[in-house]
Amino acid sequence: MTTTAPAMPFSLGYGTNGFTDHPLPVALELLAEQGYGAVALTLGHPHLDPFAEDLDDQLSWLRARLDELGFRIVIETGTRFLLDPRHKHRPALVDEEADIRLAFLRRAVDIAAVLQAECVSFFSGILPADTSPQTGWQRLISRVADIVDYARERNVVVAVEPEPGMLVQTVADVLRLRAELGNPDNLRVTVDIGHCVVVEPGGVRGALLEAGPLLANVQLDDMPAHAHEHLPFGQGAVDLPLALATLAELDYRGVAAVELPRHSHDAPGLAVRSIMALRAGWEASGPARELDRWLQESTTAVAADSGALAKIFATAGRRLGRGPLWPDTDPAGVLFGTTSDHGRGLLIARLPDILPADELAEALLALYDGGDSSERRGVLRGLGALAAASPKLPAAVVTAGLRLTTEALRTNESGLVAAATGPFAAAYLDQHSWRHAVLKLVFLGISLSAVADLAERSDDELARMAADFATERRAAGRPVPADVQLLLASSPRTSTSS
Amino acid sequence: MRIFDPHIHMTSRTTDDYEALYASGVRALVEPAFWMGQPRTNVGSFIDYFDSLLGWERFRAAQFGIRHHATIALNPKEANDPRCVPVLDEIPRYLVKEGVVAVGEIGYDSMTPAEDEAFSRQLELAREYTLPAMVHTPHREKLAGTRRTLDVVRESGIAPGMVVVDHLNETNVEMVKDAGAWMGFSIYPDTKMDEQRMVAILQAYGTEKVLVNSAADWGRSDPLKTLSTANAMLTAGFTADDVDQVLWRNPVEFYGQSGQLILDPIPGFDAAELPDAAAGFEGNSVLRGVRA
Repeated sequence: MTTTAPAMPFSLGYGTNGFTDHPLPVALELLAEQGYGAVALTLGHPHLDPFAEDLDDQLSWLRARLDELGFRIVIETGTRFLLDPRHKHRPALVDEEADIRLAFLRRAVDIAAVLQAECVSFFSGILPADTSPQTGWQRLISRVADIVDYARERNVVVAVEPEPGMLVQTVADVLRLRAELGNPDNLRVTVDIGHCVVVEPGGVRGALLEAGPLLANVQLDDMPAHAHEHLPFGQGAVDLPLALATLAELDYRGVAAVELPRHSHDAPGLAVRSIMALRAGWEASGPARELDRWLQESTTAVAADSGALAKIFATAGRRLGRGPLWPDTDPAGVLFGTTSDHGRGLLIARLPDILPADELAEALLALYDGGDSSERRGVLRGLGALAAASPKLPAAVVTAGLRLTTEALRTNESGLVAAATGPFAAAYLDQHSWRHAVLKLVFLGISLSAVADLAERSDDELARMAADFATERRAAGRPVPADVQLLLASSPRTSTSS
Repeated sequence: MRIFDPHIHMTSRTTDDYEALYASGVRALVEPAFWMGQPRTNVGSFIDYFDSLLGWERFRAAQFGIRHHATIALNPKEANDPRCVPVLDEIPRYLVKEGVVAVGEIGYDSMTPAEDEAFSRQLELAREYTLPAMVHTPHREKLAGTRRTLDVVRESGIAPGMVVVDHLNETNVEMVKDAGAWMGFSIYPDTKMDEQRMVAILQAYGTEKVLVNSAADWGRSDPLKTLSTANAMLTAGFTADDVDQVLWRNPVEFYGQSGQLILDPIPGFDAAELPDAAAGFEGNSVLRGVRA
């Protein structure tokens, strides 16, 4: 391809933990030379001691230097021996005693506030041998709540990074943590694309999409699929073009920094080779970025004339294709939709920037009412994306969404029913309708993996309905779908009778 | 043998028919919008019908491994009811939908001024949206109706290659061929055309620009008439390639002009599963070793 690729929407950076043989000013200078536009600063030895006496002076120098270089910054906290010189990463948030970890993270938030950093990233820690996951989880919940509150008062975003082997090791874990804390707006997600090939069920793309609008920080590296080992690009199992295309597709505008903490011995060379690999990867991601181009063009066209939306929506399949989004796990595209369903959903997720709430609600109704099945699935996926991106949707959008969700749930079309049981239904559908939606999926033979927040919303009454359904099937001598067992076996959290 | 039925009203058919169609090699079809038998009385009735052609019926077909496409139009018969005519304002938004492969069925029923108006306006829509036009010829006054149809087509300025004139027979095939339009034939149990007459027409006029359909609907009709015509062709000495041209490549070429044909196998249904043409033909060995 000879066409010039558009600029990456995100800023490429490099982690200072890969530059431990260079003083910070020198490292910054080398990175700027190579064309990086951001730095991921790991607090602690050797670059910035968060407890130094002259911290304020260091920070004001650093802020000025970042301005000179036009650099963005994120704060990383994965220093190995900062708090305990004998034990790596201890104490952790899941340990019995973690006061100094909390003090350190609060200090990191202070530093981020002064530096106007994009976020403070931290991880959960490895569960101590004598601690149950439940206990570890409770410790984590209460401590993260403290950090989130502390950061919110200082206008700082904190991002939890899933790490292989730690209590929080997937994006889904972070989302569960976030949900249990009431989805605080300033609690986001860090994704290390290398980790994804080791632990994420949906791989790099799946993890990034799952984080979606909550993505606040990205670490870039390669990694073999069998081991947590940060490697230079091209030496592991990461599909770099796909990862970059997925970031573009999400319109991720934050920092994406190379994370090679064991390669300081060759830092200047790796900084050069990494940015070359990233640029090549970006070029190679062209076809996968077709969706991104379509989204950009479409939002521009709709911003200029909202009347353009209907035709853009109807013809999306011609640009984006109609194949399943996840061919391996969902070959028919029923559970998670098709590529065009997904694209239409992402377009809707961008509409709040263009349309006021009332017009957005009107647009959703018009697109659904005037749409064929694929457009209707797109609207439902869009409602899910809107609900996932915002803790509280405007009332007009919720009213419209509920009308469309209940209408879709009345159909017998598997793709529509599945698309109607996503995050919007999880957040807004009343319990009675939600239970019937879940049972309908079982009845239609659709996997319950289509359902958002299944565990959170399941209750005794749904288990009772599932048991009755299983009894009826057995009485008829017909097989009981395996997913019924999932409902029976789930340990209901609530026993609401609503 | 792979079969594409270019004209069949599946909304009026059962799931048994879908199973039989799949078993006979039908992998794709086009369902033209037409009337319901019972006259419609308002625009909303059309909207629900069009939506079901692009929604439920497409889903239903996919359950049986068949790619379903539609043509959208105000049909000639109901163009005569002023309560229905305003649906013409709703049609353009359907013409950009996925899998809408033509404007149709349009044309004449009783050759009234109202039919003239709807026909011309919808040919204009076909030009505007770069879609083929699917034109029905009247059951009564077929010859005069076909002549007038071709006049209107010519006056509209649409390329004749973008038009199929359907329900032809021995009396009007030649004028349609001369006009450069595609020739559609509906094979019925006792009206319209039958397999043997169809074979004779193919022998006389060749296999180019010929579309053979079952036009099966809620009346007495047979959705497997495409297969029986294919078998009649083989018996009469046509090659498997001729059959493939008439029953697959021709409709693909004609409707493919819309840019809206979707022919990938339905997930879960294997493209390689096509029934063996030779095995399907009563033990006749004509095809052995010929099929590509």
